[in-house]
Amino acid sequence: MFSKAIFKQTLKSNGKLWLIFTAVMCIMSALIIGVFDPQMINTLMEAMKSTPMADMIGDQMDGAASLLGMLSQSFYSMQAVILSLIFVIMTANSLIAAQVDRGSMAYLLSTPTKRSTVVRTQATYLISAVFAMFLAVTVVGLASVQVFQGGIFTTAYTDDVKAVATQLDTTNEDVADHLTLILDDPQAIETGAEARNIDADVYTLYVTMKMTNNAYQAAADVLDVPLDDVTADPSLILDNDEALDAAAQVVGVTSEEYDLVLQQTIAQSRDQAAQMQQMQELILTGVSAAAQVLGVEVSDLVNDMGKIKASPEALDAAAAASSLPVDMFTQIINQQLASAQISLDEGIDFSVKDYLMLNLGAFLLMFAISGISFLFSCVFNLSKNSLALGAGIPVAFYIFQIMSQVGDSLSGFKYLSLNTLFNPTDITGGETYWWKFLTLGVVGVVLYVVGAKVFEKKDLPL
Amino acid sequence: MALIEIRGLTKDYGYQRGNFDVTLTIERGEFFGFVGTNGAGKTTLIRHLMGFLKADHGHARIDGLDCWADSAEIKRQVGYIPGEIAFPDAPTGSDFLKRQAELLKLTDMSYADALIEKLQLDPSANLKRMSKGMKQKTAIVAALMADSPILIMDEPTTGLDPLMRAEFVDLLNDERSKGKTIFMSSHMFDEVEDTCDTVAMIKEGSIIDVKSTLDIKHNENKVYKLEFASHDEYERFGAEPFTFEEKREDQNQVFVQVNDADIRPFLTALKGYQLKFMTEIKYTLEQYFKSLYERK
Repeated sequence: MFSKAIFKQTLKSNGKLWLIFTAVMCIMSALIIGVFDPQMINTLMEAMKSTPMADMIGDQMDGAASLLGMLSQSFYSMQAVILSLIFVIMTANSLIAAQVDRGSMAYLLSTPTKRSTVVRTQATYLISAVFAMFLAVTVVGLASVQVFQGGIFTTAYTDDVKAVATQLDTTNEDVADHLTLILDDPQAIETGAEARNIDADVYTLYVTMKMTNNAYQAAADVLDVPLDDVTADPSLILDNDEALDAAAQVVGVTSEEYDLVLQQTIAQSRDQAAQMQQMQELILTGVSAAAQVLGVEVSDLVNDMGKIKASPEALDAAAAASSLPVDMFTQIINQQLASAQISLDEGIDFSVKDYLMLNLGAFLLMFAISGISFLFSCVFNLSKNSLALGAGIPVAFYIFQIMSQVGDSLSGFKYLSLNTLFNPTDITGGETYWWKFLTLGVVGVVLYVVGAKVFEKKDLPL
Repeated sequence: MALIEIRGLTKDYGYQRGNFDVTLTIERGEFFGFVGTNGAGKTTLIRHLMGFLKADHGHARIDGLDCWADSAEIKRQVGYIPGEIAFPDAPTGSDFLKRQAELLKLTDMSYADALIEKLQLDPSANLKRMSKGMKQKTAIVAALMADSPILIMDEPTTGLDPLMRAEFVDLLNDERSKGKTIFMSSHMFDEVEDTCDTVAMIKEGSIIDVKSTLDIKHNENKVYKLEFASHDEYERFGAEPFTFEEKREDQNQVFVQVNDADIRPFLTALKGYQLKFMTEIKYTLEQYFKSLYERK
């Protein structure tokens, strides 16, 4: 059923190709992870928003500010798919069709080796080669994330936490777990703000927000619900004593105190929500006025209100136009800047599970695609015919997928391509994808089985 | 029971290509030759025996096993030299032979080494850069090294120089003494005549005749070529009551057919003539099949 001798020989004659492609893919993945910098991506996206490129890329860029989002939109949509595609096409053809075409298959079959053994062994090689390829990429990827970004096997610490820890002569962990250490020490605030390259007011606000987030996270863990649920409705914490204890511990207060704080927060946000609409209009008026003073586009300022703060004239103009006090407008700007810092931190967040799923998905896609190439390698006696369909169809699938993303009028092409069943943003975007994975797996198995049956029954010109 | 039995085997590729109702039986220990022009269907028949092709009708059996269904089982007894030399990926000849041995589950390479020596093969040479003859020798070693009782060979001597061809015929005679059975195709009549016991001729996919080479060698009707000293003598001999195959008047030559039983009166008659020379024209397989081929 499976021949070790044939497998060994196949490995000998095809292993080099595998090594080259796998090495290139690993290096690419490591490079992309290595150069990833959420700040840079954000700047890049801002720069692109006002260009026609933005329309073309559309909402694809939304997730790109996180490492996984960026990986899924670059490496797992392009390089990984194209490189493994070329590898699969070349290998599938050389495993069966090329040997029949040349006639060297005669030497295999002139020994007491069944055709089914030959075809099964070759299929095993192709499948395990593709699997090993993505396994290597996964391992190298995880290692690169750990080395360049940190945070998988050890917790990643932001620059400010590291700076403060040095200053207070304590561990990173201690500071990250007890952010009150920073808030209680004006000097630490200064150091942290410097490390983050923002002013002390914004930094204080940022640390407070971060602490609230951490508290919600602790509560969410106890309640066993997603963080988003708790953020949307903090009153969930009030209903559960254990969750309250956990959250209070993070903030460094007693449960009773935190209970009060939380109730206040909830009441406040209720008030704010009522005013939100009105408030936003006022802010926009203010920003427009500031834009006029600074001589820039309004859209540029909305995303970076720090510029208003930097210019007292602009700030005055904005406050005047919005009829809000200068202090209050500054406060609003600070809030915006602090949440921008929070989202930068989230960019570094890295879900190992999503990363593994990304690789599993890429493997399943290539498993199904390799089934196509393998089937045609089994069907045809001539390399040129095997390649025409075994390469042509997978390449067409890839092109159809790209076309389906270009515009709505071409979106129908997605039904003509297997590649659409592996959509990396499904995984990072939290959509359901298991049935797509299952489909890819089933398609692959069927193609391989049909290929093997055809090879066992057909006439061979040897 | 015959060792190799082909019955009513038909594979129609159209345009009179393929095999049509081929029936042959080959006994154990028999050396069977198979001749025909290019495209006559020799390789197609061999592919059926090897289980590479499925017949439209009829069947081929080796030692009672069906060549298509039990193809892998049959290979335990069969060594094969393909008609085209196309080796798998292997750096050198020895690497290739080693991998074949592995597939054949052959551990003792002493016979392979003996064959290599006999054929003067350098197995350490780069497999892809080997000359055609070297490659053919490598293929021969690969087929013979398992010492299989049956050898199926598709034009095994292509690419070999005349000396090596003689060495190969020698090798086959060694195999004969071990009681092996051989099924080989060839387009060279003298080669099959030298090695085989029985020869079949195939034309446009059908067997047109099966002949024992012994019958040819011991043919009792011989042809003698005579040249006379003068034209007068030539004219006078023409009146004798012999069977003349051909007369060449300008050269004073005649071709006379004489049965072994009538050799005495023939020699007696010759006494009264002045001869320049006399030779026997050998009757060969080639002549036999040529006449057959032209007739059909």
